[in-house]
Amino acid sequence: MDLNYTPEDVAFRKSVRAWLEHNLPRLPIRTLADRRQWHRRLYEAGYLGMGWPREYGGGGARPMEQAIVADEMARANAPAPTNGLGLGIVGPTVIVHGSDAQKERYLKKILTAEELWCQLYSEPNAGSDLAALKTAAVDQGDHFVVNGQKIWTSGGANADWGLLLARTDTKVPKHKGITCFLMSMRQPGVDVRPLKQITGSSEFCEVFMTNARVEKSDQVGKLGEGWAIAQTTLGYERGGRSLARVTTYASQYHHLVNATRRLKRHGRPLIDDPIVRQKLGRIWAELEVERYSALRVLTLLERGEHPGAGGSLTKLSYSEFEKRFMELAQEILGPYGQLTDGAPPEYQLQVDTAVGDHGTWAYAFLWSRAGTIYAGSSEIQKNVIGERILGLPKETRADRTGATR
Amino acid sequence: MNFSFSDDQVLLRNSVRAALDVQCTSAHVRAMMDDGTGYGEALWGEMAKLGWLGLPFAEEYGGAGLGLVELCLVLEEMGRAAYPGPYVSSVVLGGLGLVLGGTAAQKERWLSAIASGTARLSAALVEESLDWDPASTATTATRTADGWRLSGVKRFVPWAHVADAVLVPARAPEGVSLFLVDPRAPGVSLAPMVGIDLANRWSEMTLRDVVVTADAVVGPPAGAGSLLESLLRRAAVCASAEMLGAARRCLDMSVAYAKVREQFGQPIGSFQAIRHKCAEMLLGVENAHAAVYYAAWALNAGAEDAAVAASVCKAYVSETARRVCGEAIQAHGGIGFTWEYDLHLYFKRAKALEPLFGDAEYHRELIVRHVTA
Repeated sequence: MDLNYTPEDVAFRKSVRAWLEHNLPRLPIRTLADRRQWHRRLYEAGYLGMGWPREYGGGGARPMEQAIVADEMARANAPAPTNGLGLGIVGPTVIVHGSDAQKERYLKKILTAEELWCQLYSEPNAGSDLAALKTAAVDQGDHFVVNGQKIWTSGGANADWGLLLARTDTKVPKHKGITCFLMSMRQPGVDVRPLKQITGSSEFCEVFMTNARVEKSDQVGKLGEGWAIAQTTLGYERGGRSLARVTTYASQYHHLVNATRRLKRHGRPLIDDPIVRQKLGRIWAELEVERYSALRVLTLLERGEHPGAGGSLTKLSYSEFEKRFMELAQEILGPYGQLTDGAPPEYQLQVDTAVGDHGTWAYAFLWSRAGTIYAGSSEIQKNVIGERILGLPKETRADRTGATR
Repeated sequence: MNFSFSDDQVLLRNSVRAALDVQCTSAHVRAMMDDGTGYGEALWGEMAKLGWLGLPFAEEYGGAGLGLVELCLVLEEMGRAAYPGPYVSSVVLGGLGLVLGGTAAQKERWLSAIASGTARLSAALVEESLDWDPASTATTATRTADGWRLSGVKRFVPWAHVADAVLVPARAPEGVSLFLVDPRAPGVSLAPMVGIDLANRWSEMTLRDVVVTADAVVGPPAGAGSLLESLLRRAAVCASAEMLGAARRCLDMSVAYAKVREQFGQPIGSFQAIRHKCAEMLLGVENAHAAVYYAAWALNAGAEDAAVAASVCKAYVSETARRVCGEAIQAHGGIGFTWEYDLHLYFKRAKALEPLFGDAEYHRELIVRHVTA
């Protein structure tokens, strides 16, 4: 056990920090074109697709180097690159499960953000029970025709391509009749509509597919293997960014502490109020535990081990913590915490949130409600932990056998 | 960066577990709960032979020269077994107290005796006010011709009734000093304070004009504050390791029970109400593991954030262990509430350690002092 960073990692961190100091965009990023340009700068510096194989334009870097870049970006409050799902989910899926032709065709353009991607998984009636999805892909000989509706599609409005799960066989149990495809979003049969969330913003979309076309060559893996592929895909979302996430929490925390120096109650600053101090102490203790846990996960990744179901523990832990953090911050800030506009500077949150550019406590608070739902709700994570880590018996379910209908 | 145990550390943990599985069964724990002294000499002698009693001491004192991470590995196993005996009081409170501040002669006299199992120590770190800040010490020390005279009342002194020497903080006119006191010396009286964890013993220790010689002073005279703070940090992390062990035992028992106990025609572990509870318990235990071993490493390595890591650890683990052990009783239902079933041994161990060396509230305040300094 040695929790010091190696001299190489310290030197690498220094070089990333210096690069960010010189290259951080001076002006706020407002347009997609700005963000693409920033994305390309990051890619050219070698900071995107770092863990991907070199033959597809990646950097072949160690997990610790990737974590350091993400961490330094969080520390500098650097804008996120675009194409997060392409980098985080689609690319790794194609690398593991795709054909050589698919790798050749798609991977480099994900890295350079020439093509932006979304993920077409959830449906109105297939949320936690994702395998109940009904969007159908029918074999037409030389291509598939897709009909159905997807929802909670992040970045759908800008996406050129989507990673699609669709049903190709209704006569087998539901987990076995799903196939994975790469589908062009730029075609007449695909209609994307922004979905307005409780934040007032629209990071998510609904996607309607009416006789949309998918080429045979864009099927990923074998027919009926889609569910298994999606299981590995969901795992990619967990673990790697956990250190950077904690650094973002820490920046937010220091903004909160500064606000408590300013706000007064009974004639003294809130930071001298023992109740407020207990809340601040509770947040920091939990935040540090998240950091220690992130270092544990990184140790596994560095050794080439996949956290597997352990990723569910990571996701459950940080997403539930984030809600508690934001609730305590709201208690401390009172109505200042709810301001979406017009907040005096000392009560503003000048830290980007998950999706980029909504630096208010109000947005961070509302957004924290999403984390325990997306990418497998807390309840689903607890099922995974119970069954796959603790080996508890599966519940009796009506849908494990028989045809899908 | 490597947050995992070395092969040697895994070996140590396995050997401690194997030994305790055989020699510290719940039958042994229950026998000691009814025993006058409260611990078994045979197991104590075995622990000396296995090198556990001198684990963190230098080899010149008969120790193994290992660090806090290894000490916490041993303590986690002891929590898992609800080990009854003066291990923490002797090795951590007394032993590490002398390692941190003892003179060469004091170390010579006591450390090898602790390591060989012939002496037991303790420390009296809290008084009526339950304030763990050394500055709150009210027990007085007045100078005599060739030493000191101590008066005051200490509470919750662990295993004082079997100790050969107790570290006692007392306030001299110049400041707080630390003294080695023989609990059998004239003027010292001990009264048992019987808590819910009967496998753990506390005493009230009253000092009335207790005379000690000048060479009984440990650490800088009138400046024992920072020595005591260092000791408290180590004690807090060691207690957390023991709570972690108790919590893991409760989790393991709950999961095993949920697989075999049937209601409504199926194992209760198949119900989400129980499965989700177990998942939350595991998350608490894994996070507590990270908190304990991060802090142990940080203190041992003298890392910049060692002090705050110790407080993060105690604040987090105090509450988490209590919650996990409590949920274990809930998951078991009625049988978990019986004296006959072993769950309460671990539940009570975690509860007994929760307020010691600063509870969660105390350490949250320390955290905020560090973070906003």
